[in-house]
Amino acid sequence: MAAAMELRCWGGDWGLPSVHTESLIVLAYTKFSGAEVTVSPIDWTWKTITATVPELLCGDSAVQEPAQILNFLRKQRFNADYELTARQGADTMAYIALLEEKLRPALLHTFWVDAENYANVTRPWFASRSPFPLNFLVPSCQANTALSRILLTKGEAPLHRITEVEGKIYSDAKECLNLLSYRLGTANYFFGNSPTSLDAFVFGFVAPLHKASLPSSPLQSHLRQLDNLIRFCDSILALYFSSDRPCPLPPVQETMDANLQKLTQLVNKESNLIEKVLLLCFPLLLHGFTVAFGRWMTTSAAAHSTNPTDQTPNPACPLQRALLLPST
Amino acid sequence: MSLAADAFVSQLAAAEPWPENATLYQPLKEDQILLSDCASSLAVQAYLRMCGLPVEVVCRVNAEYMSPSGKIPFIHVGNQVVSELGPIVQFTKAKGHSLSDGLDDVQRAEMKAYMELVNNMLLTAELYVQWCDDATAAEISRPRYSSPYSWPLSNILAYQKQWEVRRKMNAIGWGGKTLEQVYEDVSQCCQALSQRLGTQPYFFNKQPTELDALVFGHLFTILTTRLTSSELAERIKSYSNLLSFCRRIEQSYFEDKKGVIVPLIKRSRRGHSSTNQEV
Repeated sequence: MAAAMELRCWGGDWGLPSVHTESLIVLAYTKFSGAEVTVSPIDWTWKTITATVPELLCGDSAVQEPAQILNFLRKQRFNADYELTARQGADTMAYIALLEEKLRPALLHTFWVDAENYANVTRPWFASRSPFPLNFLVPSCQANTALSRILLTKGEAPLHRITEVEGKIYSDAKECLNLLSYRLGTANYFFGNSPTSLDAFVFGFVAPLHKASLPSSPLQSHLRQLDNLIRFCDSILALYFSSDRPCPLPPVQETMDANLQKLTQLVNKESNLIEKVLLLCFPLLLHGFTVAFGRWMTTSAAAHSTNPTDQTPNPACPLQRALLLPST
Repeated sequence: MSLAADAFVSQLAAAEPWPENATLYQPLKEDQILLSDCASSLAVQAYLRMCGLPVEVVCRVNAEYMSPSGKIPFIHVGNQVVSELGPIVQFTKAKGHSLSDGLDDVQRAEMKAYMELVNNMLLTAELYVQWCDDATAAEISRPRYSSPYSWPLSNILAYQKQWEVRRKMNAIGWGGKTLEQVYEDVSQCCQALSQRLGTQPYFFNKQPTELDALVFGHLFTILTTRLTSSELAERIKSYSNLLSFCRRIEQSYFEDKKGVIVPLIKRSRRGHSSTNQEV
């Protein structure tokens, strides 16, 4: 089995295991696939400015970025997507692209660019989790990165101003949330009854928006109207991230040896066959037994009784006596 | 554009029918246009043909600067100018022509997701190959982009554009990728599209939608453009249902009544022209 794995990520708050979207995606996937990782938050260390978060350390190798980390975990046989068909795998890629293009810019804006949210929620949180003197640097670095990313991807040349793209990115994000809600419908997860990597990605993007107490957010109020997405986030938090009950086991797949698997299947088949045969044969056996017993009783009664006028019908076999009653 | 302006434009659009003199602007086909712009332009042309809306393609040197968003292509309809496939689809919908009306909510969500997949993977990969790969940038992209201008403006504009694209790639995390990783991403994207298409004629069974137009635009352009390396085209050719999909759309929508295939693009990217070729 794999060496011990350590995950470096931002710490948790607001009822979430981590407030950082990418870290949350990886944490959710480790729970869904049953991978044992030790979580080491980078809060209050110098890694808040030096490390790329999230980062998975396994032996000598270090993997970054959620998509690469998920690939690495799949190769280590922690695969939550085992039961997906090829078409569902293609749908997963498409929906992840939808989240990246439509939802991420608005989330970056809500947390890092919107002045009220940044001043009241984001900046205090990240500043309080960074050591002195990084608490002055870390939030502003991240805010600048977020702003430049929004402008470069969504800004329209030659007027790179944030006010012109705000309307567009929020309407795109609301549409994206609506599309996710249509796709989820009334199901518990996006594909079948067990969560997959798409569920991890959606949880990572939507949960911070759901749980953070933001002073001004039209996007959060829009999310609150989509009941099935709220229920989706809450059920994952309750099932996989609550400390008082153990997590549901992931569907067991190729962890069993292939030969052992075939043998157990064969044994199961045979035992099923024996059960079926017994079930069918039991009434026949019972009937045969009662008939035989009845015959034995009549033969033994006839042997004992010498009076031919003994007309009292033998209660053991009334049928036979009835047949032999002469017509007087 | 802000939301209020969008609503206003939609109202104006709904007022008039599609005119006969609609034009689509793009850079010069022979010498100037690059892979990514050509793919976007072909996608819009395919979409308008699928809707049955006539449009004339006009090539202008400064098309990029005329466009309201700075992106190619843009259409000039009546007295409105709209650029990029997304807004053009909404514009034609306001005029009463739409290809995706028959889809239910879940299918529409899937269609939008796959369109974002194409934009996120294929378009970004095209931009990467054009501007972040030094060989291609030096041999093809910079000379072509700056061909209408004289020195020193040509150098300045070409390097400025390259710098902008590289900044964008760094911002979205593609700056650290190697060419091999980009080709791998394109393969995965094509595999996802191929799985989704399966054996159907179009992505949503019998009728084409804007997703079909977008996929056709990108795949056809990649297949018929000669770059420094043909690796990108080879990756797509390994999916036979995507090839037959491109051929089917080319024959259905780009063939005029005499059975002659209308020349879509000139294949060469190295300066000399050639006739239209089979995919």
